[in-house]
Amino acid sequence: MESSPSAVVPRRTLSITPASVILVCVAALLAIGLAVLFSASSTAKGGPYAYLYKQLIFLGLALGAGWMVARADLEQLRKFSWLCAGVALLALVLVLIPHIGITVKGSRRWLGLGSARLQVSEFAKLALVFSLAHYLALNQSRLHEFVRGFVLPAAWVGGFAVLILAEPDFGTALLTGGLGMILLFLAGARLRFLLPSIAVALTGFTVLVLHNPNRLRRITSFLDVEAHRGDGAYQLWQAILAFAAGGTGGVGLGNGRQQNSFLPEAHTDFIFAILGEELGLWFTLLVVALFITIFVAGLMHVRRAPNLFQFLLVTGCLLLVCLQAIINLGVVTGMLPTKGMSLPFISAGGSNLLLMGLLVGIIINTSRAWARPRPLLRKRALTEVTG
Amino acid sequence: MSKGFASNRRMLLVASGVLACFGLVALRLVFLHVIDRDDLLKYVEKARRQLVVEHARRGTILDAHGNVLATSRSFVVLGADPEMLRREDEPKWSELARLLDLPPAQVTALLRRGQTASRFALATAGEPAKAKRLRWVKLTDEVEESVYDRVLALGIRGVYGQRDYKRVYPAGQLAAHLLGYVNREGTPVSGAEHSLDLYLKGQDGWIESEKDGARRELAQFRSREVAAQDGNDVVLTIDSVVQHIIEDELKLLAAKYSPHFATIIVSDPRTGAILGLANYPSFDPNHFNQATLDALRDNAVSDIVEPGSTFKIVAAGAALDQGLVTPQTMFDCGKTVINYKGRDRKLPKEDEPFGMLSVADIVAHSSNRGAAQLAMLMGEDKFYAYARAYGFGQSTRFPLGGEVRGILEPPAKWDGLTITRMPMGHAIAATPLQIHFAMSAVANGGALLRPEIIKEIRDSSGAVVRTFAPEKRTQVLKPSTAALLAQLLTRVVTEGTGKVAEIPGFEVAGKTGTTQKLVDGKYVNNRHVASFVGFFPASRPQLVLSVIVDDAKVPGGSAYGRVVSAPAFKHIAEQLIQYYDIQPVRPAAPRFFALNGGAP
Repeated sequence: MESSPSAVVPRRTLSITPASVILVCVAALLAIGLAVLFSASSTAKGGPYAYLYKQLIFLGLALGAGWMVARADLEQLRKFSWLCAGVALLALVLVLIPHIGITVKGSRRWLGLGSARLQVSEFAKLALVFSLAHYLALNQSRLHEFVRGFVLPAAWVGGFAVLILAEPDFGTALLTGGLGMILLFLAGARLRFLLPSIAVALTGFTVLVLHNPNRLRRITSFLDVEAHRGDGAYQLWQAILAFAAGGTGGVGLGNGRQQNSFLPEAHTDFIFAILGEELGLWFTLLVVALFITIFVAGLMHVRRAPNLFQFLLVTGCLLLVCLQAIINLGVVTGMLPTKGMSLPFISAGGSNLLLMGLLVGIIINTSRAWARPRPLLRKRALTEVTG
Repeated sequence: MSKGFASNRRMLLVASGVLACFGLVALRLVFLHVIDRDDLLKYVEKARRQLVVEHARRGTILDAHGNVLATSRSFVVLGADPEMLRREDEPKWSELARLLDLPPAQVTALLRRGQTASRFALATAGEPAKAKRLRWVKLTDEVEESVYDRVLALGIRGVYGQRDYKRVYPAGQLAAHLLGYVNREGTPVSGAEHSLDLYLKGQDGWIESEKDGARRELAQFRSREVAAQDGNDVVLTIDSVVQHIIEDELKLLAAKYSPHFATIIVSDPRTGAILGLANYPSFDPNHFNQATLDALRDNAVSDIVEPGSTFKIVAAGAALDQGLVTPQTMFDCGKTVINYKGRDRKLPKEDEPFGMLSVADIVAHSSNRGAAQLAMLMGEDKFYAYARAYGFGQSTRFPLGGEVRGILEPPAKWDGLTITRMPMGHAIAATPLQIHFAMSAVANGGALLRPEIIKEIRDSSGAVVRTFAPEKRTQVLKPSTAALLAQLLTRVVTEGTGKVAEIPGFEVAGKTGTTQKLVDGKYVNNRHVASFVGFFPASRPQLVLSVIVDDAKVPGGSAYGRVVSAPAFKHIAEQLIQYYDIQPVRPAAPRFFALNGGAP
């Protein structure tokens, strides 16, 4: 790590900071991801190189974006948070308009030209975190109020969630809504407002699912995978078989068979299953451990946040990574009903990789910017900021 | 846990929630990877493993001279994989139709149907389960190899065939009951096809490999290839010429008498080898499905008849063999009642009135009372033992199976009249093959052999892998008794009931037989089983021949053995003498010594 320009503590060349741990974990995930992606896409249309190159290009873009975010001044950027959120909302609306949004398999999620496509909701998630953190930090002394502390931010979150839901993208909508609620919860919104509204949102969500036969079938078949292995739960069943085929040691990189027309989306949402088959239990556990490490390191890191805005921003970024990972892992291992959600750093897919670049960039940024508190001063400094 | 802007409790709650989720994922992974692994692997194996069976060619069935009786012809089932078809090949479809001799519209329709099904499947590929993709559309059932080569030369991608074999019987109906048939599923149902299946079937080969989710073979994962091992060829003892002779004769008999069934058997007494065996009605194994159930029966082994007078060789042979009588011993065959074991027994009727008859005459003229007295002379138990020794009431161990044992009750179950009736071949039932082999034992110096039908087994390269030696079952009579009985039996033909069958110079020994048929438990006098069983030349027998006709319809007369079967016997014997080039035998003086001297 380079020392930050505004370092309070003397520059140390070799130091293990939480952010550096996160960076190492992310690098490890990317390395594993690229290797498995090459194998998982070997039988996909276009061949493995096409996916590898595409992924490498987006990795480059993500690194660039992350580097830029890491160098920027977050407090300066904060001024643009409403603008960002506005653009994101606009994009979310645009994507719903026929002929502008690109439809794939019945969902209108992409904006783009030619082969370059971006999944709008990925960036909307960041914009939401950004703007929500900004708002909650601005209003931190009034968060116990009903309107300021609950109605407005909840509506803001709800707006994003509903627009994403309309694509339709139930998974991302749930993630976005859930993340918003967690941030509200952490910022100190009152539970007596929060809990009923979560209940209402979940009820509404359930009703929507029940009224969509396709989603409903996914849920019912998820509940009995083996019985539905021929129809509704085919994909999940093939994923489960992939893990079994892998065993503890795996069959070896490049030796997996489930990508051979058995497992749909083997290189994107279900890539973890291919990882499980080719590399086995130790590597799947390693991936989980890496995400846990990122999360724990993130928690340690966020303790040093200088203000509520940055605290919520970094926590939000961290949760975006980890919740998405949890949902993907849960889906692929058959603990959650199937929904399209890519595995951070590993699944093929440019938009998500780009988003991850931005998220990591933000964490690096804060690591550079935040003063390294002196051990003796730490307690006081924290009580100061927490008030 | 954490100190920051959020309350510690809230932060702790969120953090532990996230960590718990990760923990659950890790736990679940352990289950999937390790604990549930074995159960799940079965599905993996099933989904991935592919066994491509390469059919073995079924062995050929040949007659003793190498004529093909049953063989397997290879052909190709032609079809197409609709997903592989290319638009640029479509102009060639009409050429394909021409080669297959099908209307072009039909070929186009078949291929298109497959294509639409497949395209539909691809359109809904989002739900892989619904995508039952059509990978095979059959175009035609049977294509010759030469036509298939030309179809392949057209180079239409996706059109290909699967090789298989079809069983054909080039000689049609010839020896149908011996050969049996193989049904459409390839299961051998009867005859040699069934009982020699072990030799004939060969061993299918296979290619063990893996397939992908679309059931395409992944050749890089081929783990084992086992070539098919073609079946062995079976050479039967049957001679197609003999078989033709007797089947032609059966046709004549059928045309003349339209019997219920008729059986003709020819064998070599010295080895037990069956040279020809045929029944009427018969069937063509190529079209077995058009045959009636009656036609499918091998009557020679699966139907029983009362042997009638042919059975008198048992009583006469047994009495001579034990030295109880000589050919000259006289019996009063005019008696109607005889006291046996303290009871008066009514003797059966004779066809013509007899007075005092010698044993030789009893045989020659087929005296029922004479036969009864011969049996009484030795008693039930001895008589029964000889009948068993002749092979009655037990399996002949016919190699092709499907036999019934016939009926021969032990003396304990006999009633008072059985001792008078069984010697004339009543109150007993036997298969034509049993009767034939009983006579064959007389021809073979008293040794009863097992019927032989398999000459040898050859592997697919033609090398002999197994031969079958004659198998002796029992020594029924002393060789001298057998020779003596053979001489007595020649008198049946020269001066007795079987005169019709006489072939001058060839010493035909034989016995006629006629029994009234049992219908609903009663003997009826207008339906008969007519038989003539004999061998020649009597002094050094080469062939045994039986003609048994069940329920011949003889206009204005009775279907006696001498009327129905003896002429057929003679007709066949004449042809066989010519075919086997059997030399005439001059009556030899020593035989008369034997005749006069009796059994030693």
